[in-house]
Amino acid sequence: MRLTRRGMLVGAGVGGALLIAFPLIPRRYPVPLEAGKDEHVVDAFLKVGRVKGGAAGKADCILTVAVPFCEMGQGITTLVAQIVADEAGADWRKVAVEAAPISPAYADPVLSAKWAPLWMPAFASLGADAEGMLARLHAERGPLMITADGTALAAFEAPLREAGAALRAMMAQAAADKWGVGWEECETKDSFVTHGPKRLSFAELLDTAVDYDPPAVPVLRAEPPREKPGQFPEGAPPRHPRLDLPAKVDGSFTFAGDVRLPDMVFAAIAHGPQGASVLSSYDKQAAASVRGLVGVVHARRWLAAVATDWHSADKAVRAMEPRFKADGPIADSEKVLVALDKALTKGEPQRLLAEGDPDALLAKPSLTARYDVEPAFHAPLETASATARLRHGLLELWIATQAPERARRAAARAAGLSRRDVIVYPMHAGGSFDARLDVRIAAEVAAICKVIGKPVQLTWSRWQEALAGIPRTPVSAQLDGALSPDKTRVLGWRARLAVPATAFESGARLLDGWGVTDALDLQDQADPMACEGAMPLYRIPEKAVEQVPLALRQPTARFRGQAHGYTAFFTESFVDELAHAAGKEPLSFRVGMLEGEPRLVACLQGAGRLAQWGGGIEASGQGIACHQMELALGGGRVTKGLIAVVATARSEAGVVRVERLSAYVDIGRIVNIDIARQQIEGGLMFGLAHAVGGASGYAKGRPLAGRLSQLGLPLLADCPKVDIAFADSNEDPFDPGELGMVAVAPAIANALFSATGVRFRRLPLISEGL
Amino acid sequence: MSISLTVNGRKRIVETDADKPLLWVLREDLDMPGTKFGCGAGLCGACTVHLDGDAVRSCQTPIADAAGKAITTIEGVGLNDIGKRVQEAWVALDVPQCDYCQAGQIMSATALLKQNPKPTPEDIDGWMSGNICRCATYMRIRAAIRTAAGLPAEESVA
Repeated sequence: MRLTRRGMLVGAGVGGALLIAFPLIPRRYPVPLEAGKDEHVVDAFLKVGRVKGGAAGKADCILTVAVPFCEMGQGITTLVAQIVADEAGADWRKVAVEAAPISPAYADPVLSAKWAPLWMPAFASLGADAEGMLARLHAERGPLMITADGTALAAFEAPLREAGAALRAMMAQAAADKWGVGWEECETKDSFVTHGPKRLSFAELLDTAVDYDPPAVPVLRAEPPREKPGQFPEGAPPRHPRLDLPAKVDGSFTFAGDVRLPDMVFAAIAHGPQGASVLSSYDKQAAASVRGLVGVVHARRWLAAVATDWHSADKAVRAMEPRFKADGPIADSEKVLVALDKALTKGEPQRLLAEGDPDALLAKPSLTARYDVEPAFHAPLETASATARLRHGLLELWIATQAPERARRAAARAAGLSRRDVIVYPMHAGGSFDARLDVRIAAEVAAICKVIGKPVQLTWSRWQEALAGIPRTPVSAQLDGALSPDKTRVLGWRARLAVPATAFESGARLLDGWGVTDALDLQDQADPMACEGAMPLYRIPEKAVEQVPLALRQPTARFRGQAHGYTAFFTESFVDELAHAAGKEPLSFRVGMLEGEPRLVACLQGAGRLAQWGGGIEASGQGIACHQMELALGGGRVTKGLIAVVATARSEAGVVRVERLSAYVDIGRIVNIDIARQQIEGGLMFGLAHAVGGASGYAKGRPLAGRLSQLGLPLLADCPKVDIAFADSNEDPFDPGELGMVAVAPAIANALFSATGVRFRRLPLISEGL
Repeated sequence: MSISLTVNGRKRIVETDADKPLLWVLREDLDMPGTKFGCGAGLCGACTVHLDGDAVRSCQTPIADAAGKAITTIEGVGLNDIGKRVQEAWVALDVPQCDYCQAGQIMSATALLKQNPKPTPEDIDGWMSGNICRCATYMRIRAAIRTAAGLPAEESVA
C-alpha cells in the first residue's frame, strides 16, 4: 500500500471528523510520562525504549502504552495498546502497557459531556457537547479520569491513533533520510520500516528516530482499526491476544490485595447497617486476646482491626462486636416497597420526554402493566481491597478504582494531606460492574495507615462487600398503551417510572465527595439519567416518559447497564404484551413499528435467524427483546449500540431454566472482535444473572441475601447455549460492555410467557414464584 | 505451632495457629497470592487448591489438616502435565476476563481431568458448579476443559 500524507489526511476525514477535530484543540498540559533508562517519551500515551534480549541477543524496540482506564476484565488495556500498535505498525509482541498517572492529559470530555447534568444541573445542555469548551474545561479541571459509561473509545481512539502515528512518522523519517526517499512513501509493519525492498527495524532506527519531530498535524492511516466479523469467526485465533492473558492463567497477575510491602500489616473492617449508621460502641478488650493484633482504628462510620495477618484482623474485628446506631435513614425493603408503591400510584409524575401527548388516548388504555425491579448487587468476586503506605508525608495507594483521581482526593482528605502528596498506583479490578466507582475504601485505608504508622492492606470481607456496597436502585413502573381500534398499531404509549434521582445521588458521592447520608437528600427530584432508555424507538405517534421522583431513603449506585438495565425490561416486556393483546407475532409486531430504524430491524431479524425463531407462539418457550443505547460524541454526532436477544426458557418448580440465548449485536466498527465477543458473552450472562438473581432486599440495613450463594448467580451448569453474531458495520464504535446485559431479562420474561402463559413482571423473575 | 507442608513440591515450614485457613497461610505466610479470597465460606471456589491431588477450598481448610500433605496451587499447577494442558487451553481460548476466579477455575478443571480424563458435558457442568465467575466466562471454560481433554471444543450435536 502506498501511503501519502495527503491520502491519509483525506482518509482520516472520511473515517470521522473526530479524528481531525481533536488535534485542533491546543494541548496546554505537560506530558505526564517520564522516560526511564533508554526510553523516549513520544507523547502522553506512548513511550519507546530499547530492551536487550531480542532474537540472537539483539536489542528490541519496545512500545510502552499508557492506559488511563481501570481494567476490570473488559479488555481495555489490550484495546488501547492495540490501537497505538496498529497505527504505529508495531509488532504486537513488542508492546507493553503501564497505568497512566493522574493528569489532565487523560481527561475525558465525552464523559464530562455525558455527565453534564451531574456537574452543571441548571444548564446541563451547555456542557453536553463533548467538543465544546465547557465539557473539556470541566474534564481537565478535575481532571475527570473515570472509567464509566463506555466512553473510552469515543474519547481516546483519536489521541491513541495520533500517538501511534507520531511514532510511525518518526521512524519513517529516520529511515527515509538514510535511504534518501520521501518519508511519506515508507510503510511500517511488524516494527519495521520498509520502502520497496529496503527494510530497517524500529530497534535499528530508534536512536536517530527520537531526534525527529512528528508532523504538527498527525498523519493517520487511511482506515481506522477494524476487525470484520466475517474475517474472525468464533474460535478463530485472535489477531491481538489479550496482553494480560499469560499472567492470568498462572497466578502471577497482581491484584490490590496481592501487593506485598516490607513490614506490611493487614486490616479488616466492620461497617454499620446500610444507610446512615454511626459506630456507637465496641469491646476493644475482646480484640486484645487475638494473636498478632497490631491495633484498632475507629472512625465515625466504621471500626477496623489491624493484625500481622488478615485472618487475625478479621477475627479481632468480629470479636469486638461493634454496635452501630442510626443517624438517619436505614435501608429497609418494606419501607422502600411502600414508598415505591405510593409514588407510582399517588405521586406527582413529571414528564421528561414526549413526542405528542398520549394522555387523551390513555384515558382508557388498551393495556396497563406494572413492573417492579429489586435493588441489584454488583457482587464482584474480588472484595474491595487497597494497600497504603505513608512515608515522609507522601501517601502511596495501591487500589483498583474506576476513579483514581477521586480515590486520591478521598485518601488525601482522610490522611490530612494535599492531593499532590498522594500517589495512586492503579491496579486491575477483580470484577466491578461499577462497584469500584465507590472510593470510600481509599479514605479508610489512608486513615488506618496514618494511625498505625505502617504499610496497611485493607480487605473487605464478603459480608462487608454485601453490607456496605451500594446497590443499583429498585424501581417500579407503570406502562400504559393504546392500540388502534383494529389493533394493528400502537397509537399511544406512556412509561411512568417511580425512581429516585439515582444519577444525581451517586454523582454527588463520586464527583463532589458527598457522604452516603448527605447524598440521600438529592433523591427526591427529576433525573432524566435515571430514566434513560425508557422512550421506545417504536414509531408510536403519541408517547411519553414520566418520572415520579421519590426519597427512597436507601442509598443507590451505578451498575452495569445503568438505567437501561430496567428501562429495556419495561419497554420490551410491555411491547410484547401489546403484541399479544393485538394477536400479533412479537417479532413482526416490533419490526412493523421500526420504520427508519434499519439497524435495530437487522438486529431483530439477525437474532431471529440465529435462534430459528418460531414466532414466539404458545408453549415454544421463545421470547425476543431488543434495545438501543447511545453515546453523544460531540458536535452533534451520536454513536449507537444495538442488540436483539432471543431467549429459550422454561420454568420448572419455580426455577427458571434458560436453554439458549441468541444475540445479534451492532456495535459499529469493531476494533478487537475477540474482546467484543467476550464482552457480549459476559454481558449476556450478566443479564441472565440480573434476570434470575443478583438482587437483595434489606431488613434493618442488613442485606437479606448477603452471602454469595444467596444471590442465585448463574453457575457453569446454568450457562445456556449461546450464539452471537455481529453486524458488519463501519459506523462509529460503541462500547459492548453494558449493551450485552440490557435485553436479556425481557427476552427471558417473554420466553417464560410463551412457555407458561404467565407474565413475569418483577425482576428478578423468579421472586414472583411459580 | 510449627507446621510442615509440601507446596508445589517444596518443603515449607510455617509458624501459625492450627485453625488458620490454608488460604491465608498461602497468601500471607508463604507469599503466594495467586490463590484468591472470594467469600471465605467455601461458596465461590476462588480459593481452590489441590491437597494430595484433590480439589479443596483452601479458605475452609485449617492449616493443621494440610500438615504433611502435598499442596498444589495455581503457581505450581503448570508443572503437572494436565495442569499445563489446562493452562494452555485457557490461553488458546482466551478465557479470562477480570481473572479473579480463574486460579480456582483452573485448579478445579485440572482436578476434574485428573480423575476423569474424558468428561461428558454433564460431568463438566456438575464438577465446576462450585466455581463462580461473575464475568461469566463459563462458555469458554467449558470449551477450554474439553480442549484440554482432547475433545472437540463444542459438543457435537447428535
